[in-house]
Amino acid sequence: MNPPYVELHCHSAFSFLDGASLPEELVSAAVERGHGALALTDHDNLCGAMEFAQAAKAAGLRAIHGLELTVAIPATGSDRAGGATAAPQETNHLTLLAENADGWRSLCRIVTEAHSATREGRPGSPVRAPVAPLDSVLDNSDGLICLTGCAELGVRDPQTAMTLLEAFGRDRLRVELQRPFHRGDRDRNASLERLAKGLGVPCVATGNVHAHDRSRVALQDAFVSVRLRQSLDASEPSRRGNSTHALAAPAAMAARFRDHPAAVAESVELAGRLRFDLTRDLGYRYPREGDGDADRELAEVCLAAFDSRYGNSPAGLRCEARARLEEELKVIEGLGLAGFFLLHRDLLELAREVAVEVRGPATARALLPPGRGRGSSVSSIVCHLTGLSHIDPVTAKLCLGRFLNDGLTSVPDIDLDFPRDIRERLIPRIHQRYGRDHTALVAAFPTYRARSAIRDLGGALGLPQTETERVAKASEGWSGRTVGDDIATALGTQAAANPRWEWLAKLAAEAHGLPRHISQHSGGMIVATQPLTECCPVIPSATPGRRMVQWDKDSCADAGFLKIDLLGLGMLSAVERCVELIARTKGERVDLSRVPLDDPPTFEAIRKAETTGVFQIESRAQMSSLLRTQPKTLDDITIQVAIVRPGPIQGGAVNPYIKRRRMLMEDPEAEIDFIHPSLEHVLGETLGTIIFQDQVLEVAVAFAGFTPAEAEGLRRAMSRKRSSAAVEAHRLRFIEGAGRTHGVDEALASRVFEMIRGFSGFGFPKAHSAAFGLLAYQSTWLRVHHPAEFLASLLDEQPMGFYPPDSLVHEAQHRGVEVLGVDVNSSGVECTVEDGAVRLGLTRVKGVARECAAAIVASRSALGSYRDAADLASRSGVGRPALEALAWAGACDSLSGSRRAALWELGVGAVVESKAEGDQLAFPIGVTAPALDPLDAWGRALADYSTTGIAIEGNPLRILRPRLPGSVTAADLRGLRHGSRVTVAGFAVARQRPQTAGGVVFLLLEDEEGTINVVIKPREYERHRLIARSEPLLLVEGILEKPAAAGGGMSVLASRLGRVERAAGGPAAVRDLFACDPPAPELERFGAEQLPRASSDRRGR
Amino acid sequence: MRRSPNRPPKRVSGGARRLGEPVPVDVTADSGGRPLSVAGSRVEGVRESWLVEDRWWTAAPIRRRYWEVVTEGGAVVVVYREPGGRWRSHR
Repeated sequence: MNPPYVELHCHSAFSFLDGASLPEELVSAAVERGHGALALTDHDNLCGAMEFAQAAKAAGLRAIHGLELTVAIPATGSDRAGGATAAPQETNHLTLLAENADGWRSLCRIVTEAHSATREGRPGSPVRAPVAPLDSVLDNSDGLICLTGCAELGVRDPQTAMTLLEAFGRDRLRVELQRPFHRGDRDRNASLERLAKGLGVPCVATGNVHAHDRSRVALQDAFVSVRLRQSLDASEPSRRGNSTHALAAPAAMAARFRDHPAAVAESVELAGRLRFDLTRDLGYRYPREGDGDADRELAEVCLAAFDSRYGNSPAGLRCEARARLEEELKVIEGLGLAGFFLLHRDLLELAREVAVEVRGPATARALLPPGRGRGSSVSSIVCHLTGLSHIDPVTAKLCLGRFLNDGLTSVPDIDLDFPRDIRERLIPRIHQRYGRDHTALVAAFPTYRARSAIRDLGGALGLPQTETERVAKASEGWSGRTVGDDIATALGTQAAANPRWEWLAKLAAEAHGLPRHISQHSGGMIVATQPLTECCPVIPSATPGRRMVQWDKDSCADAGFLKIDLLGLGMLSAVERCVELIARTKGERVDLSRVPLDDPPTFEAIRKAETTGVFQIESRAQMSSLLRTQPKTLDDITIQVAIVRPGPIQGGAVNPYIKRRRMLMEDPEAEIDFIHPSLEHVLGETLGTIIFQDQVLEVAVAFAGFTPAEAEGLRRAMSRKRSSAAVEAHRLRFIEGAGRTHGVDEALASRVFEMIRGFSGFGFPKAHSAAFGLLAYQSTWLRVHHPAEFLASLLDEQPMGFYPPDSLVHEAQHRGVEVLGVDVNSSGVECTVEDGAVRLGLTRVKGVARECAAAIVASRSALGSYRDAADLASRSGVGRPALEALAWAGACDSLSGSRRAALWELGVGAVVESKAEGDQLAFPIGVTAPALDPLDAWGRALADYSTTGIAIEGNPLRILRPRLPGSVTAADLRGLRHGSRVTVAGFAVARQRPQTAGGVVFLLLEDEEGTINVVIKPREYERHRLIARSEPLLLVEGILEKPAAAGGGMSVLASRLGRVERAAGGPAAVRDLFACDPPAPELERFGAEQLPRASSDRRGR
Repeated sequence: MRRSPNRPPKRVSGGARRLGEPVPVDVTADSGGRPLSVAGSRVEGVRESWLVEDRWWTAAPIRRRYWEVVTEGGAVVVVYREPGGRWRSHR
């Protein structure tokens, strides 16, 4: 029997803080409750539509697409009727449903217009709520069915209703009845029935669903409070007031509307007409898709480049490359993807033009290509010949199947890395080239995790902010499902048992993974033949001038959109900056593509793990691995880049690889166990282990006789969550295939399959590792041969990498690089190199904008050095806050003698008023500060941290050391024996708790002599979690571990952790040492808020 | 539907005043919770029914199914049933 009711008004969490369930949760609940169809009608967006369509299709539920639109209604009806543009407007809601593809396009256009002014105003100003003019709805009514909207804000005014009737006609306008169990429902619905009768249209019943289940009703209430920035107590008038907005069964809804049976029947009738299928009817095409000339043109482009790339190569390589090219072109022709490659080539050519404009023709960086390929596309010889990849896939022995194979069902991904400045200019140029209506960036939907949930929902529950902040800092930050533990850790078990804190834990768990708002993807761009607004709404992004679609990368992939990833890579920017700086300071033009790839000093540095600041191989884990693997070639670095990833780690490849590599170092003739001879070829370079993602495919092909497409299917199945059934099906075929191909028994085949299955976590394709490995090598080369220029470049490209600027500077100082502080008479806008020393730039000072820094430098260049503070204040025209920041950073010491004196003089000498005839000073020129005590060393360090973030005189632990009796430094550790009991102290540079480490926490401390690795096992971590997670300056007691197998690497296995606090009467002292459950920290006295914070989540580049 | 956050509060003339406190009342109801009599008077009809579920985050959560009924004497009465089963009349 058909369900008696279809829900045509339903919000998901994509209504952003006005819906508490994911589309797939709604779909599952709908199927469970007997619905045959369901409409998703989020507020003013179609963000969740594709996710909903895919989930519904998989579950056998018919998806209906629409939205609830906020419409501005002129007081006199439509503007066009009476020219009433200046009339005051009120907003109403309309429910719009797509009947067919025309209707979908209408929805996209309306939403695009509704959002067009949301980002108007100054950058950074609050985003305005989207609102569509009524005329936009009237002009785009094709293919839409209009319901008059919700109980609270729906259209009830007869004149507006009549305007809607004129646009939609009796066939496509319905008066919407709801029964939210509020006082006044009966009168309102009676009134709406009269309105429908007057219009001559039927009524339709809807449920205005905001949660898939009653268990989410509390979260919906909390979300409303978060959205309104009010407590739950204060937001009562705006909340829904009861739980009737949870999705109910069709029969229950029919019973709820027992007084309106015709409206219930109409929901079924209407749903029968709403047949638009988003998974099928979108009609997207990318430029040159299906272009008949594209195959020939692509072949010509590749052949033209072939001779210049391979003309001087040995004949064998040339033949291999030619065969590879022909094979690839054949696959591309078979898949109809030639236009796809040509489009990317066009983009690269555009990037080349932009690069010339950005870099200038005569600069050293002009020698560099505009960008570089990354990801699996680097394995393609077509990409190499069209300039999309800088790696020769034949020489590097890169396998194509992961990127391109006969069984491909969607367009592959080509990712391109650009220096940030080129990318910034390239994006608007792509908009220009293909048309603003035809291009847009991909969106992203940040989801609730532990910390965001604690802060947002804690505020809604009215919990004290200081305490929620403490819990947030104690949290691992990842899973919202363990917030209860976070509360107990930070506040104790008694607080965790308090009902409101219990609610916080419960709500955070419910909120985990729900989208909070829309933002911009890091680099994905969509290009279309038709205006993109025909396929998906396009809205302004936070960056002025940029627009994005309302779908994230997964929805874009499901839609078949061609996504071009234009990624800004900080290290590329740093490398280009460094090349330019070398040219300026030393007069050398470095061509990175020509640096020797076997440079002994570079490899020596890599083998000694002296890689702080370089690309990819600088982290604590990478350094520890480098000491053991001792890379000797670029191929070794390619493996190194890939090895510290969840795939190889979980697949158990890391230790066997290192062990075998060390075995071969000692005995080059030692035999490697490849399990089966067929694996020797595919796993030879990684010594019988699976380190690269494409080796999964190669093993499946070589060992189990899979086709490349089947092997890619296996890889995809393993990389998805909840695909155990699919993986099991592949396992059976794998075992059967291995038996058929090589006659191996089930036990051996299973062993190989388990090796593959272990890799199912994230791993790099070899092509990607090769691309990143080259940049890792090049950046190390720059670090070794041009250390000052490299450091200056890194500092100017922050934020990036694993280490904060403070640690980069201290590490460079240990290597003998001199670093000079900011000085208004010497510093440039950015960092410079003076006689081999790095001089910090003026913009390193927080509060000094680029324009202010430029003004200081310009006046100095034009009129000479500043004589004194008053001269600086008068000539530079910089305001008092920036001048004070400069004084406090020590940038005016050369004028006033000390920071305090400079602050005094600038305080009275700074410009207070600008007039046409000149700046009026607060006090006559010639102010001299009275005798002021200079800052002590600790005071200078705190001032440095609060201004430049860099303690220029070195790690301030040196000052505290006398107060830490019995502690040893990083340098001392080198002379101590394995197993020694030690106490170390330092600033926490990084805190990591990798999901692959079984709860072990890795802490990197920095003291005055270097860095110290600290390993904290789960039991110790739980005892000291708050200290380990939130203290900037730590004291650690533990056992020194430096086994011979670590190749010189060492760490301290922590048994106790304490914090260092300042005590009265001295610069600092140890207080409450090894406290396990400390009282609320009073670190302000110590200046902890100014100390550098460790970044457990600094992202790689 | 998103309830409007900007709707101005209703003005109350004469300043703040205490709302009518609910008072206990005898009600008989059918198996669906629909009142049949209030304070001994037969219910002639139900004008409206609504539901309030709130303050779930406190020690005193509210769950009230309200009934606005007309009794045989023509009086309009609002009653609700508490989760414990007691009925109260609420102006």
